[in-house]
Amino acid sequence: MAEATLIQPDAAFIRDVIASGGGDLKKCYQCATCAVTCSLSTEENPFPRRQMLLAQWGLKEELSEDPGPWLCFYCGECSKMCPRKANPGETMMALRRYLTAQYDWTGLARLMYRSVYWEISILLLVAAVVVLLFTLPHSFGFGLLSQSGPEARSIVMLDKFAPTEIVHRGDTILAALLSLLLLVNAARMFFGLTRSEKLPVRYYLAQLPNLALQGLTQVRWKGCKGSEAIKNWVRHLLLVTGYVTMFTLVVVFLPWFQVEDSSFHWTSILGYYATAILLGATAWIIVDRIGKRAEMHRFSHLSDWLFPILLFLTAASGILLHIFRLLDLAMPTYVLYTAHMAIAVPMLVVEVPFGKWAHLLYRPVAIYVAAARAKAMESSSPEMAGRNRSPVREGRTQFAVGWKGSHGP
Amino acid sequence: MPKKLGVYVCSGCSIGDAIDTAQLAKVAGGECKAAVCRVHPFLCGGEGCDLIRQDLASGTVDTVVLAACSPRVKSDVFQFDHGAVVERVNLREHVAWSHKQRDEDTEMLAADYLRMGVARALKSEAPEPLHDEISKTVLVVGGGITGLNAALGAAEAGYDVVLVEKEWLLGGFAGATQERFPAGLPYTEPQSEGLTSLIDRVTYHTRIRVFLSTGIVKTAGQPGMFDVTLRMERGEQTIRAGAIVVATGWKPYDAARLGHLGYGLSPDVITNVDFEKAAHGPLVRPSDGKPVESVLFVQCAGSRDPEHLPYCSSVCCMTTLKHVAYIREQSPETKAFVVYKDMRTPGQYERFYRTTQDHPLNFLTKGEVSSVDKTDEGKLAVTVKNTLLGQSILLVVDLVVLATGMVPASGDEALHLTYRQGPELPILQDGFPDSHFVCFPYETRRTGIYAAGALRAPMDAAQAREDAMGAALKAIQSVELAERGLAVHPRAGDASFPSFFLQRCTQCKRCTEECPFGALDEDEKGTPKPNLYRCRRCGVCMGACPERIVSFRNYSVDMIASMIKAIEVPEEDEEKPRVLAFMCENDAYPALDIAGLRRREHDASVRVIPLRCLGSLNIVWIADALSRGIDGVMLVGCKYGDDYQCHFTKGSELASKRLENVKETLERLQLEPDRLQLTQLAMNEWDKLPALFNTFVDRIRELGPNPYKGF
Repeated sequence: MAEATLIQPDAAFIRDVIASGGGDLKKCYQCATCAVTCSLSTEENPFPRRQMLLAQWGLKEELSEDPGPWLCFYCGECSKMCPRKANPGETMMALRRYLTAQYDWTGLARLMYRSVYWEISILLLVAAVVVLLFTLPHSFGFGLLSQSGPEARSIVMLDKFAPTEIVHRGDTILAALLSLLLLVNAARMFFGLTRSEKLPVRYYLAQLPNLALQGLTQVRWKGCKGSEAIKNWVRHLLLVTGYVTMFTLVVVFLPWFQVEDSSFHWTSILGYYATAILLGATAWIIVDRIGKRAEMHRFSHLSDWLFPILLFLTAASGILLHIFRLLDLAMPTYVLYTAHMAIAVPMLVVEVPFGKWAHLLYRPVAIYVAAARAKAMESSSPEMAGRNRSPVREGRTQFAVGWKGSHGP
Repeated sequence: MPKKLGVYVCSGCSIGDAIDTAQLAKVAGGECKAAVCRVHPFLCGGEGCDLIRQDLASGTVDTVVLAACSPRVKSDVFQFDHGAVVERVNLREHVAWSHKQRDEDTEMLAADYLRMGVARALKSEAPEPLHDEISKTVLVVGGGITGLNAALGAAEAGYDVVLVEKEWLLGGFAGATQERFPAGLPYTEPQSEGLTSLIDRVTYHTRIRVFLSTGIVKTAGQPGMFDVTLRMERGEQTIRAGAIVVATGWKPYDAARLGHLGYGLSPDVITNVDFEKAAHGPLVRPSDGKPVESVLFVQCAGSRDPEHLPYCSSVCCMTTLKHVAYIREQSPETKAFVVYKDMRTPGQYERFYRTTQDHPLNFLTKGEVSSVDKTDEGKLAVTVKNTLLGQSILLVVDLVVLATGMVPASGDEALHLTYRQGPELPILQDGFPDSHFVCFPYETRRTGIYAAGALRAPMDAAQAREDAMGAALKAIQSVELAERGLAVHPRAGDASFPSFFLQRCTQCKRCTEECPFGALDEDEKGTPKPNLYRCRRCGVCMGACPERIVSFRNYSVDMIASMIKAIEVPEEDEEKPRVLAFMCENDAYPALDIAGLRRREHDASVRVIPLRCLGSLNIVWIADALSRGIDGVMLVGCKYGDDYQCHFTKGSELASKRLENVKETLERLQLEPDRLQLTQLAMNEWDKLPALFNTFVDRIRELGPNPYKGF
């Protein structure tokens, strides 16, 4: 029997998780039905049971070192089977929300996750900035309406309204900035996960291809045997292709994508594909969330609504803009261009580094760390292999000092 | 006056197929000298019964032997007036259904059973019930939840009640609690209502007299006529009661023995009873008065532990949940830890458990407290092993509450009975009054005195309410049957009672010692002084008496001896052994009926004599049987020991002791001890009976015939 570990439940942490949507987590009485039900759960990492317990007992440190919450794709089988209706699936989701806020050093993520007002206000603020950019005279070279001649009001002259070069430069800067923020948060996550369990670097190096693979294909999802897991994976994968295509078009190929004449461009095919996917998949997700039929759609946090809705609106405004341009409706085109930007930009600013979208990096990183750990475990002694079997890893030395000297750390 | 015997043989239910009933009628008419002998194909039908009634009414018959089905069935149909003795011969279950049809041995068996029945009938007389002036007042001892409910229950049923409480106010332990377990929907919060109105209803009930600050100094007499001396501040008073409900409750387990859980280490380690008292004020550390920021509850503190209380008190889990609720009422920020072996929250209490779990700062885990230490800051460091967290954990808290269990108050002197066998209720395991917990709740080994509530078994208030009703009904049955002079459980309604031919008594005191119910007191010389209303008619005294001076009008040593004599024992060269089986009426005999019902065959050498209880076995019968040439004797009775199943608590155990003495005698007579066998059998083991019989008969055949045959 290893030495007893001091347990000091963090009350604020428990309340945070509950506020993030884990309202039923205290109902768990550790029967382990969830871990048995879950096809991705392993002997070494019995989630969601372990996470339920850690969260229940307010063991914040333990959880910050645990990739577990991100290893779940929320098929919801555990919630369906839970005899206490503790909704372990949703608790895992709540933990992901909590952790997303936790990884963000700016503190904005926490504000937006915990408060509807903050979330909406920031979205509106960014949208307002975008609108102003397009409407204020002389601002950064935009603002054609006040500068150019009257012909621009009757024929579409998008390059005058929003010069491609400037927009391209702007979106590159934005992409770089948001990526940087996201990378910093992901790095914080990585160092948190590996804080007390340091592996030799070769294990991390060996798993790098896995990181890329998971990031691009989410292939781990295939292992989930929950109902509709494969459907959800395919839908998600399509959404990823649509998103990546559109991202690439906008960030890399904008000069070829934002055009004025109505002749055929090769980018159009990709654009149509991406738009169709984004519209279809997000609409499908929204309908599912409204229907609450599947376990994963029963509880919808604001962040769960905003993500598909904003993405849908972005795609919808984009394609409408395209149609207006082809119809040569000048004013509507400009208005819609502004609207499109006023939706897409706040969405990206809020979602990518601070919101739900950040999972595009967090989830692969967690899978990556877990895989590296598993490999390390495999190659070490059998005695080591059993180390992680217990729901809470032993060996952490966080004993309080000062109680009974004979028994100090 | 010689008896006018009527033998009625039923040939229905395939009895006629298995046995030559005409031949049997000849046995009755011939050697049994029956005045009337009739064979009828449907004796329990209207026509068959009318036949018997006509014979009785015309006076041609005054003693009826019914050779038909088991006495355990059709007892409602075979009811006759005119004070007739009715003896049932079990031809159906024990002969026709369990032996080869029309076989020589089967016929012999049927004839023997008929002879035995006739022999017994000729010696029997119809019993006359006792008749005395009876008090129907119910005395309730203890004014807690159980006592209050028992008093109210009996009073509402129309009986006068005397309620005696040693404290100066009613309510008992529950009265001292701040709140009690949830008792109604949604079962999620402790409740405080209910008790005051119950106390008021009892206090102002016209049929209930309440004595507060009162003790009992003497309880004399017997059911229907208990004389109970009460002592109160202003003096003594004797009241008469018909039956007594004892609801003296429980005491908390002595925490001083829980040093391993930290009790005594610090004033901050308290029991749940201490916590209940402390909960009236602000939650502070007893050691220094600082506010409590964290509490750890240790469940099963000294319970379900072979070193302490081996049983589950069934309430401590809810008590702790209630205490956590107290904490929540005071402070949302205090951490409450609960370490349990198992949370046992039966029925709706599960909702209470769930609600408690829901609070963010309530932490519950299975686990075992392995040590409690003091920290430098004056806190308590509790190490818990085998937790749900998969490892040993250390929790540093301000207060440790030990959830101690319930100990029955049976150790307290409450009744001061003037019984020869002692002043209080005999106890069995763990200090609870001796009664069969499952089969005969509320019974004690003192007739007319019923235990209820936490005295009888650990229980909560809701269960105690039901228990109180059960015990009150038992008390009512007791006084009602006493008024009619009839026996109470388990031979409820039996009008017979033992009579003692005291001129021949040698003052050996066996009867007064062995009576399981303390019915017999003694004078200075040791002569038994029967208290017949305490008697449950088991016949243990009859079995105990070496002088054979105890007998019932329809059950006596002589009667059974006559039955033994009536068995026709074949000559040695016929190679037909005879085995006598004394079987307890309560389990073994019905078990054989069941075996018959399932058509299980057994050896036809066995002759069964039912006994009221194996404890009524008089060893003279064994001597009689062996000297008659019977080759072996079996005794089949109930299980004895701590988990006994004997309806009279001690019967089969006493029989086994007597048998040991007989075996010694056998050896002196150079008879193999194997010829005697005692088996403990429960009714549900009926399927073992045929094999039991067959194996024993086989063994007897191996031993060869009884050498005393023919003497």
